[in-house]
Amino acid sequence: MPLALSAVLAASAAGTSSDSSAFLRQYLTVAIFAAAAVVMVGAMLGLGRLLRPSRPQEQKSIAYESGVDPVGQGWSQSQVRYYVFALLFVMFDVEAVFIFPWATRLEAMGTYGLVEMAIFIGILVLGLVYAWRKGVLRWV
Amino acid sequence: MYLVEYLLLAAALFSIGVYGVLARKNGVLVLMSIELMLNAVNINLIAFGAFRGNAIGQVFALFVIAVAAAEVGVGMAIVLLIFRNRASVNLDEVDLMRG
Amino acid sequence: MHALLAVASSFTGPRLDYHALAPEIILTATLVLVLLADLVLEERNQWLISNLAGIGVLASVIPIITLAVQNHAARSMAGGAYVVDDFSLVLKALFLGIGYVVLLMSTNYVEEGDYYQGEYYFLLLASLLGMVVMASARDLITIFVALETLSIPAYMLAGWRKRDLKSNEAAIKYYLLGVLASAVMLYGMSLVFGYTGSTVLTEIGKQVNGSITHKPVITLGIFFIVIGFAFKVSAVPFHFWAPDTYEGSPTPVTAFLSVASKTAGFVALLELIYVGFLGRNDVWGPMFWVLAALTMTVGNLIALRQTNVVRLLAYSSIAQAGYVLVPFAVAGDNIAARRSSFTAAVVYLMIYAAMNLGAFSVVIAVARKTRSGDISSYGGLFEYAPGLTVAMTVFLFALAGIPPAGGWFAKLMVFRAVLDSGTTWAVVLGVIAGVNSVIALYYYAAVAREMWMSPVPDGDVTPVRVPAPLLASLGLTGLVVMAIGVYPQLFAHFGDLGTLVR
Repeated sequence: MPLALSAVLAASAAGTSSDSSAFLRQYLTVAIFAAAAVVMVGAMLGLGRLLRPSRPQEQKSIAYESGVDPVGQGWSQSQVRYYVFALLFVMFDVEAVFIFPWATRLEAMGTYGLVEMAIFIGILVLGLVYAWRKGVLRWV
Repeated sequence: MYLVEYLLLAAALFSIGVYGVLARKNGVLVLMSIELMLNAVNINLIAFGAFRGNAIGQVFALFVIAVAAAEVGVGMAIVLLIFRNRASVNLDEVDLMRG
Repeated sequence: MHALLAVASSFTGPRLDYHALAPEIILTATLVLVLLADLVLEERNQWLISNLAGIGVLASVIPIITLAVQNHAARSMAGGAYVVDDFSLVLKALFLGIGYVVLLMSTNYVEEGDYYQGEYYFLLLASLLGMVVMASARDLITIFVALETLSIPAYMLAGWRKRDLKSNEAAIKYYLLGVLASAVMLYGMSLVFGYTGSTVLTEIGKQVNGSITHKPVITLGIFFIVIGFAFKVSAVPFHFWAPDTYEGSPTPVTAFLSVASKTAGFVALLELIYVGFLGRNDVWGPMFWVLAALTMTVGNLIALRQTNVVRLLAYSSIAQAGYVLVPFAVAGDNIAARRSSFTAAVVYLMIYAAMNLGAFSVVIAVARKTRSGDISSYGGLFEYAPGLTVAMTVFLFALAGIPPAGGWFAKLMVFRAVLDSGTTWAVVLGVIAGVNSVIALYYYAAVAREMWMSPVPDGDVTPVRVPAPLLASLGLTGLVVMAIGVYPQLFAHFGDLGTLVR
């Protein structure tokens, strides 16, 4: 197994027949590692199954909840009122994509860049003030 | 540079998204399909941008990301409105008007 | 990321022409003020907000006038991505005019509707800002951002009546198809960007006319972009959302969507076709031909069997969009057709805005008394509201294209473009348009007959009280429609905007 693996890896590193196939061959390494992981886990679990005694009981198949008897279903809907917070988070989080490139070049852009970003953030803050004044942020 | 692989990935994602929008009944899943379509566009833009070695593709992708967030925010609000008034997000039931 | 940094390292602040940007800046300032006013004003002082919004819209017309009288060459900014020329000035003035009339129509409707006033005006102005930006956009990214700026507030406006199931339905249908259209359009834009390496339309135009003309990917990109905008302008077979959205939305919003939003879609198409894709009329020519023929025919035929006046106007506006698509279909045939098509499309959009807004103003005024949109509720309107009846008749005849109301001139321009092209296909399309005008006459006349001839359905002949803002919007639109109809040369030269036509 290790011998075959290293042979494949060497082949994948040496292969330069065409750009595209070399590119795909890089992913061959990933595929081999994935296959090895599946085989290893499968072998361990299979070995355990062969060796261990089997005495099924009803309590053993209950979901484990820190030693306490579980309450309710595994599936539960989250409260709809979380939605507003998730939405506000996504909005402000995504606006950061404009701030990151700006931050890396702030010095080069000087005062102009600072004023532009101040306007941008000012409008965003206005949105936040609006949400706050309308009572959206209050936890009911 | 590898361009075709990315374009094929984007085309596949876009097609899955279109299928989801047209075939799904659950409003939330439809919104997720729309996200898929917009992200396919992002892959296209970034792949083309990298292939050409200019920044325009990335800038375009940044705008698409920001606008997609706004769109999905509004979309979730509308789906939530329908859920509050009808206690269901099944879009096939939303057909009061016809003809 | 390296490419991004390389661009930034040679950074110099873009030189902005603040005079040319003044309309957008004033509109943005008004937006901020409206939102702040909504936060600080007491409930009983909320009516101030509509005045504030109106003043803001009128104030942003001032720089457009000063720019127009200067007669300056086109002002190009950000490497040709944002251009202020004659075309964009006329279209900006048109959008602001539409916005002001919609504000007049909304004032009493929103005040009496007992819903969030501040947000209504905020969203309306935000959408208007997107349209004003669209008139100057000459770049794929700018067009995309403008389109979303005008669409996203419009989705929320459609769902304005939160507790009303029909309004919910209007919003979700408009939203889903609008976003689907944006995604399809974006996919096309990404392909066009990929093969030209630029998002500026003039640069794309150079390349599409030049070496890479027949790359199939460009064909696919143009195809997707046109399909995306066909959704936006509700062309058949991408029109399914329009009637439901128009019926379910609050009526002033319907007027706004059917006029302003549609016009913005056509403006973007004009920019894309005339600046970007002129060399590929073999792709978009046939597409527009099919879209125009289907849109006119299907819109008019379904309008024939409508019983609700808002739904009738919805299908009529689909059919009207079909007439505007006709010049697009013939634009690529020769240089004369290219020029006259451009003029025809712009003139049609201006006249359509006046007559459709007028018709919706009457609908809002009548609904204040009857609380109904059924055509049968218009029976005997002449007996208790003669002024409204005359106004509605003028607007309906304008939409049908009967002189002296303004619509005939718009149709004349379309037919002139068809004749300038002169190809067999163009003439066939012209004949289809002619037949459709006759069909349309039937259902417009049916509403008029109901108003003049039929008896009042419930015998209630108390007069309709028309509030002052609504009266102003009726007066403005009626004046424009009649002025164009009687003296069309006054408006004809607005369409002669050679700046986009090469």
